[in-house]
Amino acid sequence: MAMTAEPSFEEAQRELERIVTELEGGRASLEDALALWQRGDELYRLCLGKLDSAEGKIEELGRRVEEARP
Amino acid sequence: MKVEHEVHGDRKVYSVSAFNRGVASWLTRLPSVWVEGEVTEFRRQARWQSVFFTLKDPHDGSCLPVSMPRGGFDALRLELADGMTVHVFGRPELFAARGDFRLRALTIEPLGLGAVLAQLERLKRRLAGEGLFAAARKRTLPLFPRRIGLLTGNEAAAKRDFITAVTARFPAARVLVSQTYVQGPRAAPALVTALSDLASEPAIDVIVLARGGGSFEDLLPFSDERLVRAVAECPVPVVSAVGHEQDTPLCDLAADARASTPTAAARLVVPDEGELRERLSGLQGRLQRAPRLLVERKRAGLESLAGRLRTLSHQSTLRRGYAIVRTDSGIVRDASSVAAGDRVDVELAQGGFGARVEETWP
Repeated sequence: MAMTAEPSFEEAQRELERIVTELEGGRASLEDALALWQRGDELYRLCLGKLDSAEGKIEELGRRVEEARP
Repeated sequence: MKVEHEVHGDRKVYSVSAFNRGVASWLTRLPSVWVEGEVTEFRRQARWQSVFFTLKDPHDGSCLPVSMPRGGFDALRLELADGMTVHVFGRPELFAARGDFRLRALTIEPLGLGAVLAQLERLKRRLAGEGLFAAARKRTLPLFPRRIGLLTGNEAAAKRDFITAVTARFPAARVLVSQTYVQGPRAAPALVTALSDLASEPAIDVIVLARGGGSFEDLLPFSDERLVRAVAECPVPVVSAVGHEQDTPLCDLAADARASTPTAAARLVVPDEGELRERLSGLQGRLQRAPRLLVERKRAGLESLAGRLRTLSHQSTLRRGYAIVRTDSGIVRDASSVAAGDRVDVELAQGGFGARVEETWP
């Protein structure tokens, strides 16, 4: 489950969902379950971080026109 | 008409004036016809005997200069403005003094609503035929746009509604607002330029084209072929939120997604952060419980296995010829725990029997 680049929020959340479902299925080996859980926890923190870190901003493009009506 | 020429050796040579007069006279033989086009570069001055404009083909940009005597033009009481689609009835003419070819208008009719609708329908069919509105062309909108481009007019409502809804759903959203003409003949080219400028701004992941409701004519720029093509070809996904529910300007069909209002557009371009957090925390709860459940299940499996193992081991002992003797107080391991006459149960590998103790010895 090596990730070269950091996954996007959607990718991370999708993977987290898959991991939870797999763990809940109860068919994973104990070692696999432990690894899955660790990965799941990582993904959860990643998603949370992404939600926390973005900063809101409204900018106006420099070029504006004076009047809409010709 | 006979056009005079000189003879130089084996060639006939015309003067410019004679040539122009000749062509002009030949042109008068052509019939008067109706020509449809868009008015551009409308020019009139008090000292001019005629008004001038250029009739432009919106499809490929072909141009035809038009002139009309001022008296005739003023009698029509037309408010001609650049960008209007008109029908001009006239005949071709060469203005001999300048060698200018033009259409001399006898009358001009702005397109009525019915004609405009028919024209829109033709354009719609042509663009649909090119596949511009095909579902396969639609791109998915990003879940978290790094920056949102908002292209709108100067009216405050559309911009305010959009920004309010975006920040309520996702406070961290970044919005870059570009304002330009959204109605009148200058709107379509201005929107095309603004759209391409906005798309080339860094980190813009989605663009929302927003304009509040308006009359049918007000919304016409959003069905302009240039804008419709620009929306379809925009390198960034475009959400069209133009007019009200019942209006379907052609840019709606070319856009990647369509919203009935700026507020609805906000719902399309940003996720609801509260919902996301709830879902994430639900997942986290399940993630915490899942391994515990897994371990419990494994433990239960192990216990049942151990039970089966125990049963199996005493079964095999019995099969070797041993027997288990029990009284009401359990397995008899010591002869002193029973006395002659006591009732005992004897378990064998196969079945068992009840018995009575005859005698005991240590």
